[in-house]
Amino acid sequence: MFKDSIITAKDKTREVIIFLVCFVAAFLVNVGAIIAYRGPWTEIFTQIGFVVIIAAVIYLLHWLVRLAVMVIRHFFGK
Amino acid sequence: MDKKNIDRRSFFGKLGEIGLASAALSAFPWIEACTPRQADEQKNEYARIGVIGTGSRGCIHLMFLQQIPCARVVALCDNYEPNLLNGASYFPEAARYSDYRELLGNKEVDAVVIATPLDCHYQMTMDALDAGKHVFCEKAMAYDIAQCHRMYLKQKETGKLLFVGQQRLFDPKYLKAMSSVIAGDYGPVVAVRNYWYRNNDWRRSVPSPDLERHINWRLYREYSRGLMTELACHQLQNGMWATGMLPEKVIGTGETMYWKDGREVYDSVHAIYTFPNGVHMTFDSVISNAHYGMGEQILCKDATVDLITSRLYYEKPQRRSSIESLISDIEKGIFTNSAFAGTSWAPETASRDTGIAIVANAYESDGTREIMDAFCRMVIKGEMPDKLLDQFYYATVFSLLGDEAMLQNKEMRLDPEWYV
Repeated sequence: MFKDSIITAKDKTREVIIFLVCFVAAFLVNVGAIIAYRGPWTEIFTQIGFVVIIAAVIYLLHWLVRLAVMVIRHFFGK
Repeated sequence: MDKKNIDRRSFFGKLGEIGLASAALSAFPWIEACTPRQADEQKNEYARIGVIGTGSRGCIHLMFLQQIPCARVVALCDNYEPNLLNGASYFPEAARYSDYRELLGNKEVDAVVIATPLDCHYQMTMDALDAGKHVFCEKAMAYDIAQCHRMYLKQKETGKLLFVGQQRLFDPKYLKAMSSVIAGDYGPVVAVRNYWYRNNDWRRSVPSPDLERHINWRLYREYSRGLMTELACHQLQNGMWATGMLPEKVIGTGETMYWKDGREVYDSVHAIYTFPNGVHMTFDSVISNAHYGMGEQILCKDATVDLITSRLYYEKPQRRSSIESLISDIEKGIFTNSAFAGTSWAPETASRDTGIAIVANAYESDGTREIMDAFCRMVIKGEMPDKLLDQFYYATVFSLLGDEAMLQNKEMRLDPEWYV
């Protein structure tokens, strides 16, 4: 029923890069919040758990967009 | 039940668990007699107890007395046969009486527990003290202030123990919370808020109409002062304990507003007590709506102490991290309705701070077992703890004064002759 699928090294590298971009975005949100709420700069390290969670949420949201694009292409593409 | 479990459940064990044993001795001198050393010295000694009144409250005491290793219940008394039989199911070996004076004549009895209607407390306590017995009398202390005063003086005259069932004074979670309030850890006390809401008619089923007043004594003025003596005296004592002061005056109003079933006591009462420094203490009780349940809150300048749930709420809760604040503000922006009266108005809703636990397992007990445990220990020791009777006395006296304020519909102050 299911076919074997291959995730190439190129695909893996792309996904890692995308997640790193998400992490940097989340990191910048934390930096922005520290500036906006006048928090201590130590929160860059102490709130790293929150940053990782936000990065994961952004990554998941980006995947929802990619899935939507794939579905649209499947039905209306070519 | 193993010994370790008994030790942990004992009053001494609980005090040790919350780290109060030494720190609170100066604030609560009556705890001094409850040190683990004291318990150790009294090993193999027993308090021989007679219980007068084996109705619902009396049976709760009997249940706890079964669990207290140093207690021996040797006599039971009730003038209502079904209650006496219920009591005997806890201690079948105990001698049974229908007249409390016969029980007082029993030389085997060191101390009595009085759990009878309020109007009986005075005479039974006086007779018991005269008979050389130590006394644990259920709250409220007595039906009127003059009786309370005579009971107070009788204890001083005889030197026998006189406990009143104000169990919060021995409840470890109250002791822990009060030690911090009294030490000023949360700033000065600015208000004390007490309420007790229920939604039931407070009636017991009666097997025959001629027993109505006997069984539902709480509803009739001849025997009871209603919500003020049955509920308020527990909560009012908190305010005096927390502030270290006695109220200067009280105003109040009471009505039989919903349960118009022939009862003579109020079913809705609201009282405001004022302490000499201007701090107010309120007590509200309605028994036709239970939504808010019961609450006992000490409001300090820097924090609120909720004694029932044993939680502490700081006025300025611990700062959240910047990113948490950002997420919270985004949530508010998405989910909160915009103010309908412009930016100058916003509802001042209660803080949503979830607070900090003062004592874990706040609902494990209400202090009844602990006060009975302490009473039995002190019966063996034979000495009335310092300042305890004052706490008992004023708790009832100010409950009665509140009821007087409602009955007379005027501001009441305690007559100087009743101060002790």
